[in-house]
Amino acid sequence: MRNSTSALILLFGIVLPVSLSAAEKKTALPADHAQRMQQGLELFKKEVRPLLVEKCLNCHGGKSVKGDFDLSNRKQLLDSGMIEKTGKESYLMALVEHREEPFMPLKEKKLSEKEITSLSKWIDLGAPYDKPLATSSKSGSEKMVITDDDRKFWSFQPLSSPAIPKVKNKTWGQNQIDPFVLEKLEEKGLPPNEQVSKRTYIRRAYFDLIGLPPTPAEVQEFLADQSPDAYEHLIDRLLSSPHYGERWARHWLDIARFAESHGFEHDYDRNFAYHYRDFVIKALNQDMPYDQFVKWQLAGDEIAPENPLALMATGFLGAGVFPTQITANEVERTRYDALDDMLNTTGLGMLGLSVGCARCHDHKFDPIASNDYYRMLSTFTTTVRTEIEIDLDPDKYKREKAKFDLAHAPLVKVLQEYETTQIKTQFENWLKQRKIDTTQLDEWIIPDVVSHSSKGKARFEKLEDGSVLVSGPNINQDQYTFKLRTNVKPIRSIRLETLSHRSFPHQGPGRAVNGNFSLTAFKVKAKSLTDKKGNAKEVKLTNARATHEQNKTTLSAKSAIDGQYGSGWAVDLGGIGKDQAIVFDLETPLEVEGETELTITMSFTNNVNHSIGHPRFSVSNSSTPAVKTGAGSPEQLSKALQLVEQGHPDQLTAAQKQTLERRFREQDSQWVALSTKVNQHLKTEPQPALTKVMICSEGPEIKPVRHHSQGKDFFDETYFLTRGDTEQKGDIVKQGFLQVLMRSPQQEKVWIEAPPKSATTSYRRTSLANWMTDTKQGAGALLARVIANRIWQHHIGSGIVTTPNDFGLQGERPTHPELLDYLANQLIQHGWHLKPLHKQIMLSATYRQSTDFDQEKSKQDPENKLYWRRSPQRLEGEAIRDSILYIGNRLDTTMYGPGTLQQDSQRRSIYFKIKRSQLIPMMQLFDAPEALVSIGQRSSTTIAPQALLFMNAKFIRESAKSFAKRIQEMHPNSHEKSIEKAYHIALGRAPSASEATISLAFIQQHQTSYESEKKPEPALLALTDFTHALLSTNEFVYPN
Amino acid sequence: MTQPYSELPAISLNQLMARRQLLKRAGGGLGTLGLLSLLQQEGVLKTADAAPSIKATNPLAPKPTHMPGKAKSVIWLFINGGPSHVDTWDYKPELEKRDGVALEGFDNKTGFFQNAVGPLMKSPFKFKQHGESGKWVSEIFPHLSQHVDKMAFIHSGHTESNNHSPALFMMNCGIPKMGYPCVGSWVTYGLGSESDSLPAFVVMSDPLGRGLPKGHSLNWGAGFLPSVFQGTYLRPTGEPIDNLQPPSVLTEKGRQRSQLDLLKSLNRQHLQQNEGDQELAARIESFELAYRMQSAAPEALDISREPKHLQEQYGIGTKKCEHFAKQCLIARRMVERGTRFVQIYSGGMENQRSWDGHSDIKGNHSGFAAETDQPIAALLADLESRGLLDETLVIWGGEFGRLPIAQKGATPGRDHNPHAFTTWLAGGGVKAGTTYGATDEIGFKATEDKVHVNDLHATILRLLGMDHEKLTYLYSGRRFRLTDVGGHVIDKIIA
Repeated sequence: MRNSTSALILLFGIVLPVSLSAAEKKTALPADHAQRMQQGLELFKKEVRPLLVEKCLNCHGGKSVKGDFDLSNRKQLLDSGMIEKTGKESYLMALVEHREEPFMPLKEKKLSEKEITSLSKWIDLGAPYDKPLATSSKSGSEKMVITDDDRKFWSFQPLSSPAIPKVKNKTWGQNQIDPFVLEKLEEKGLPPNEQVSKRTYIRRAYFDLIGLPPTPAEVQEFLADQSPDAYEHLIDRLLSSPHYGERWARHWLDIARFAESHGFEHDYDRNFAYHYRDFVIKALNQDMPYDQFVKWQLAGDEIAPENPLALMATGFLGAGVFPTQITANEVERTRYDALDDMLNTTGLGMLGLSVGCARCHDHKFDPIASNDYYRMLSTFTTTVRTEIEIDLDPDKYKREKAKFDLAHAPLVKVLQEYETTQIKTQFENWLKQRKIDTTQLDEWIIPDVVSHSSKGKARFEKLEDGSVLVSGPNINQDQYTFKLRTNVKPIRSIRLETLSHRSFPHQGPGRAVNGNFSLTAFKVKAKSLTDKKGNAKEVKLTNARATHEQNKTTLSAKSAIDGQYGSGWAVDLGGIGKDQAIVFDLETPLEVEGETELTITMSFTNNVNHSIGHPRFSVSNSSTPAVKTGAGSPEQLSKALQLVEQGHPDQLTAAQKQTLERRFREQDSQWVALSTKVNQHLKTEPQPALTKVMICSEGPEIKPVRHHSQGKDFFDETYFLTRGDTEQKGDIVKQGFLQVLMRSPQQEKVWIEAPPKSATTSYRRTSLANWMTDTKQGAGALLARVIANRIWQHHIGSGIVTTPNDFGLQGERPTHPELLDYLANQLIQHGWHLKPLHKQIMLSATYRQSTDFDQEKSKQDPENKLYWRRSPQRLEGEAIRDSILYIGNRLDTTMYGPGTLQQDSQRRSIYFKIKRSQLIPMMQLFDAPEALVSIGQRSSTTIAPQALLFMNAKFIRESAKSFAKRIQEMHPNSHEKSIEKAYHIALGRAPSASEATISLAFIQQHQTSYESEKKPEPALLALTDFTHALLSTNEFVYPN
Repeated sequence: MTQPYSELPAISLNQLMARRQLLKRAGGGLGTLGLLSLLQQEGVLKTADAAPSIKATNPLAPKPTHMPGKAKSVIWLFINGGPSHVDTWDYKPELEKRDGVALEGFDNKTGFFQNAVGPLMKSPFKFKQHGESGKWVSEIFPHLSQHVDKMAFIHSGHTESNNHSPALFMMNCGIPKMGYPCVGSWVTYGLGSESDSLPAFVVMSDPLGRGLPKGHSLNWGAGFLPSVFQGTYLRPTGEPIDNLQPPSVLTEKGRQRSQLDLLKSLNRQHLQQNEGDQELAARIESFELAYRMQSAAPEALDISREPKHLQEQYGIGTKKCEHFAKQCLIARRMVERGTRFVQIYSGGMENQRSWDGHSDIKGNHSGFAAETDQPIAALLADLESRGLLDETLVIWGGEFGRLPIAQKGATPGRDHNPHAFTTWLAGGGVKAGTTYGATDEIGFKATEDKVHVNDLHATILRLLGMDHEKLTYLYSGRRFRLTDVGGHVIDKIIA
């Protein structure tokens, strides 16, 4: 009976394989239900319960819940989907009976036949419980407990110090790496392959380290170098080539899912994101210790804010996709997605762990609790993308500034000496003489500036001449507010001077990159200072006129008071680098009781970063005064002159006296001459060369990059979420790390660093970086293993762990765990420098093996897991393209800076701009990632469109042609010699006799064919057809 | 729990014969090699019981299905921008009655424009019943309405975002985020390609300069799958596919052939020293494939080879719909020649450039319907007359529906509605003339037999012979699926 039922169910299952939850299956109960349950209960109490408690409960509902399977009570068991109506068809039984993997109990002895039978029967009887197995278990909200057992998994353990294995073959090995490999080969009786020739080795090393082939001369030089350390010298030379960084940065950029656009609906460009790519190249070239490399990417803005490279490094966090149109009900979820992207990429890239899997539930395979996820996620709570201006080469500025200061000091000294020896005494005399000429007073009076502020946190400095110099942040759309005090009555006009200054691009007067500004709105409010309660009233302005206008319409003087958002007064097209002024008349002259306080707001919103840099305000009681710059008398002056005239110079305040002295010396021609000299020289003062850089940071001073969002850019707190749902919030999260990578839970305190008083950031990212790089108590051992494995992988072809982004339970186990620990130890002992590790690997006999295939060896180890040979590797798209350009003498080696989308660019491929919606087709064709998620190993496919590219792409044909020209010019009269040269350049060797013969026949045949068609330059065309083929060969794309 | 499928019978003899005939009909550009390799494949064809494996040497080799499936290929007409279900296929007489009445309790955040919420608005179009199934269809589909008995309508679709690009990603990739493989990539990953000389997965977008769908190429991206599975985008202008045209000097006098012969002999000599390396042998073969593709792809794209009357039937020569007609005809030629998955986007970006009728729903929808109605109807008829409809799944649908209330404006439109939309499927083993699920009486929300996007995807995969729970890909420690953790096959629309 039972058999036929189950067969029926099986059949039914085929037709309808939708997995039904247990609840849905509860339909009509069989008549003997109660009786069966009773039988089942007996069985449970007697046999099943002890079995479950002993063999299963620990991991499935007791101490922890692994694989999302909890059998601590009946409801959990029925809901798990692990059991069906009969034991036979239950997935649980398939695992327990070892019909399907993972065999259960995991890594323990198989259950006995009797136990299996009881368990199956109990399921047949409806799997009844008398009471739950574990009392603590409630409705699935059970917290995952990370135990020391979990920490025993190989990758979570501290680094071991393996002894160098003893091997039989004493002659093959080159360094300490080799015994680790040889030991396993000898165990299997597999002899390793022989060392390749020097000719093959140099080619391998070149492609490997710099992604370009050696020139024939470089090959010759290496062949001729008979010294014992010829190999070492070669590697040293390549590691110090700037091309090394360009080649290896690409590997890291894959891991960092680096791109220069936001993705999603508009795929807006991130025009200043390329600095992160430059950081990676520079860091590799200067052999930055890897722990520092990691720390800076997580928290460079906190750890070394003065260092441009450290700031550029934080681009790592912000390289992921981000929507640019966010509706109100997507704001919060989108923010959690962005945090997840940062954390997940950090986890995969640095630790080889898929932390992101714990977003919705405890990790199904790895001991990563959902709580750990949110605790770690909170590291990035307030971190956002922002764009700042920094000097990429501060040392250059410092050098030049020092040189300038040296030259400037004597000029200042002469001026000061003249002031102290001459001016001082003359001025004191003048004060006593009471000879005042008030006609000297200008119609423009410069009031005192009593306060100033900027929406974008720009910094203001009041200068002696009554002006205000702006520096610091220059946000896209700033707004300044100034308060002035004046006794001028009535005020009929207000003047704003926008003065130039050496600190601005092109001397200003604006702060935009072209020296311009755009004053969208100029507004004035006024109140009497005597009337304490009175509110400031808006002052109506009219008759705007300026010394220069960019145009007569939307960028005219009028635009500053037209109330329009899209227009403003600007001064380009003739006005850059010079002082400018704009004057407004008041519709009604302003006269209040006592002193007047003016509040002036200026907004700069009709163009980005177009703020004014050096304003000075003045007021006038004349009717329609002239528009001019300069002159203007400080408000203090007339009062001070009065006192002098009245013979009370002793009553002058210090400020008034200073104003008077300033005025006095400006009338002394000698002083003016000396002062002009100083000022002229000042104009040559070097300025930091500011470049916009996209970084990630936090704090009140930074402005997040945002587009069309109907909500906040970030929230102040991160919450525990149930199933990753922002509608199901739990408590506020406190920062923490992965428990499984903490030797002692109390240790968390060691890494968490409180922000210093002056800090504007939370230091949570620094704390993460501390834990990440702590090799003793934190994640540092895994960090070292993961990067050592990556370096090995790119040299040897496959990692010791062949899943470089997954060192967890689902990932592959290391083929040579001791070797991996040895390499990781080496790395740490070398102060985390990567170059020594490259060198050691590349000098090993393992690396030097030939690619020769061997049927017998392959039978024993078809995947070459033990490294009995070098596996042939196809060059990546970047290396193929760069090398073809290089051989055609067309490679432009300019480093750094903005990338390009132009496919005919001749720069190295790493300088292609990575725009997510417009990926470079050739790179795509050769398996370059789409820059969406972290990729630790590219696939290597062979598809017809790649062949089409070799056959027909313009850049290959053009490179082949210039390659052909190159060899033709060397040997204009001999195809034989041209062929030989071509082989040396492209493949690093001479052609074999048969290769030379068929190549020559081909060239001659094509030349004849072109000649018969009277095509110009038939020989060059024929040679091009040949070089084109040569660049398309397998040997070129698969260098041995 | 998943069921073991390994005991299922292999593909039937009839199906095999049908495919053979198809290949013969396709003839021409395909050449005998394609046929041979296909038959070899058939000979060893077994049902799969696990995630597909990818051969580095031929990642697009045909792969066994999990179970028999009628559909061999898919043509997805992506009605971009969010077509209004209540103005097309989901007739709501109640809306007429309550026209102008405010919708009580409406959450202003439902659509995109929170400040333009108007009252309920009846459809500006007349509806009539058609076919044996008596389906009510809007007057904007005079041609398609004649084919309702071929279609299976799903009225109860709902999705997770009210915003174009996340909703587009949801519909294409099963998750409202970017960076995940789209349906076409999953399908070609799971089934490989039936053609060795044409791209397996092809995408066409609006050729009238109205832009790409929001999210651009990520809608046909392969995500974490190998990039070989991403959609090949046929450029609307210029050369549709990269590198198909040889350098001019090589096209003459068979010079490219002779150059490839030189390359082959150089590669063969190299191979002799590197015996046993499959990749090297595969790369030699890839040049031969490429050489064939050079002629096969232009042939497939050359619709001038079609008879004049058929071109006219599609609407070529009719200004309003000619662009879409050409794309539909190309789609048919491609699937006929073994392309696995074709997606055509109707409309470009947002607002008036696609079906995104925020203002003037009447003008917007009647315009885009006129661009597509005749071509799609002709495509269905053409596929049927060639016996291809049975194995070609045709999908009509967008990323979400539109609200039954008006979006205020000079000429009222409708805002986004993630709670309800209509998709129809035809051919490829779909139960013809059926309707599944329903919305409430005004078409605001799906209420009956709700169909999540994951369910739709699971059903599409099932029609192709794949189990959505077994079509997995291991990436960063997790076996990912198109349907994430959801997905129920809608058995009721499967024949």
